[in-house]
Amino acid sequence: MIRIENLHVEVDGNKILNGINLEVKAGETHAIMGPNGSGKSTLAQVLAGHEDYDVTQGSVEYLGKDLLDMDVDERACKGIFLAFQYPVELPGVNNTYFLKSALNAQRKYHGEPEIDAMEFMELIGDKIKLLNLKESLLKRPVNFGFSGGEKKRNEIFQMAVLEPKLALLDETDSGLDIDALRVVAGGVNAMRSNENATIVVTHYQRLLNYIVPDFVHVLVDGKIINSGDKNLALELEEKGYDKIIEEAAG
Amino acid sequence: METFVKAFKDTLKSPEDEIESLRTEAFEEFSKTGIPNNRHEYWKFSDPSVILNLDLKLNDSLDDIDEDYDLILCNGKISKNKTKSRIGSISEGIKKGDISEKVLKIKENPFINLNSAFAINGCYINLERNSTNELRILNLITNNEEIEQAVYPKIVIIAEENSNTTILEEFRISGKGTNFVNSAMNILMAQGANLEHIILDDYADNTYHIANIAVEQKKDSNYVSHNFTIGKKFARRDFNIELTETGANCDLNGLYFASNEEHIDHHTTIEHMEHNCTSNEHYKGILDGKAIAVFNGRIHVHPEAQKTDAIQSNQNLLLSDDAIIHTKPELEIYADDVKCTHGATVGQLDENAMFYLKTRGLNQSEAKRLLMRAYVGEIIEKITDDNIRKEMMGIVVKKLPKGTND
Repeated sequence: MIRIENLHVEVDGNKILNGINLEVKAGETHAIMGPNGSGKSTLAQVLAGHEDYDVTQGSVEYLGKDLLDMDVDERACKGIFLAFQYPVELPGVNNTYFLKSALNAQRKYHGEPEIDAMEFMELIGDKIKLLNLKESLLKRPVNFGFSGGEKKRNEIFQMAVLEPKLALLDETDSGLDIDALRVVAGGVNAMRSNENATIVVTHYQRLLNYIVPDFVHVLVDGKIINSGDKNLALELEEKGYDKIIEEAAG
Repeated sequence: METFVKAFKDTLKSPEDEIESLRTEAFEEFSKTGIPNNRHEYWKFSDPSVILNLDLKLNDSLDDIDEDYDLILCNGKISKNKTKSRIGSISEGIKKGDISEKVLKIKENPFINLNSAFAINGCYINLERNSTNELRILNLITNNEEIEQAVYPKIVIIAEENSNTTILEEFRISGKGTNFVNSAMNILMAQGANLEHIILDDYADNTYHIANIAVEQKKDSNYVSHNFTIGKKFARRDFNIELTETGANCDLNGLYFASNEEHIDHHTTIEHMEHNCTSNEHYKGILDGKAIAVFNGRIHVHPEAQKTDAIQSNQNLLLSDDAIIHTKPELEIYADDVKCTHGATVGQLDENAMFYLKTRGLNQSEAKRLLMRAYVGEIIEKITDDNIRKEMMGIVVKKLPKGTND
């Protein structure tokens, strides 16, 4: 689905990613783990198309096309979804109106007609149950005045409605208590299929107990220094990043 | 100036003109001051002397319009009336004693005097005590001859005790000539009167519009305006609110959109003349292209006006690097036990919000529109009437500037 080759990225002249290689196939879930400042979130932001990041080298192929050549909205319409670490508050933008606008923008891109009002209400009714969200949140401005947990659930709720091909979950577990974590992970798992893929960016192993990855990659100083299966995450949790970094260097 | 003198002389023909002497006084005062220019502090950023370059013909012709309004003024003259209120021309109102001669008294602002000088027609509306009214007024300016013309609409509204009224007032310009529209509205609010005034001043690139709204409020009266001004060649609208007795409140809400080389100026003055009055002002603008906007909000708290509570806020969204906003709060406070707050902001669309929306699939212009819709929604939501609020949201969203700077 996505093939990242030798990706180098800078922000304001500072090198953040130093040659990332990663391939994710349909049906797979990959976890990117790493200490703070290792470039995990940058990778997610670059794939979503944030303009503050300069790609200085390398390529990203997504569904056979050059991803780096696409605008942010084009990437979204082609199925890339970024669940933000810090979801943006949009005062004055009604949550339901926002979701409908997003869904219709994507349908328009694919030459489909706008969703019928009844059909839309049914769709969000189903998905809201999945994420155990209060219906009142639908009537409120997007993320505005939401608790940390509500914001994260709202991200996954949007993902459930938009049904992306490639989901990028950026520190989705941060700020979640254990119950909320279960609900969010349950939502993500319910969407996993052979048609789509997920990249989970996280600092802690905790989330991976619930969203079990097929592959785990350790990112340090903008490079993947180690890859393995879910047991690598457990090893990391046990030994800590320093030890793993030492072993990789050794 | 000669064009004004000639046009005025031409109005002195009617034998039945009851207010000729009052009009003449107003014109003489106007002749003394003339049209101001930008050397006057009050006109610093909006120079109306450009009007002097026009060869203005007075137009008070009546077109046959039948649209769904309660009251239609065509070029300042009543052309349709299906309201239940007492209505008539200014001179009829003075003759019947429904309105006082004071509505034509000399003012400091030369445009008000000029408007009074040409108050041959005009319209007064008497809203009876304890009545509930909803009025849709169309202020139509027609320029079929495609000439340079002057139009002087004048409306006087008497809101009697405890009357409760919603007025939706729409300015519409038709025809392709150049218009100088000098409109004036006097609103007199008796004790306990309540008036919600929605103004839709639509786009016209061929029009210089100078509008003056003067509101005089008695005890416990409540005046709320929602003023939507869409780009014009030159638009200047002044509100002068006098809170003359205790317990009076006014809310001034407004939105202005200007693109290209349009120019919009709002000057508001709220006179807090007695104790325990409140005012709440919130104006927001969106500017695009090389547009220029001015917001000057004056709050004058008189020595008697203890316990005044006045809030003012002006926010501006700039979609282009070439647009200019001059915003200035002007607080003059002579009482010591008052609460006055003011704030002005100028900014661009939030880049984080734009990125967030795009990651959900909205393109640049869709994302922009969504954010602008939220921005204007804050003002439109203040309209009490559900139907008018929805109608205004629909109209205003269609008029949002495009944001040409991409």
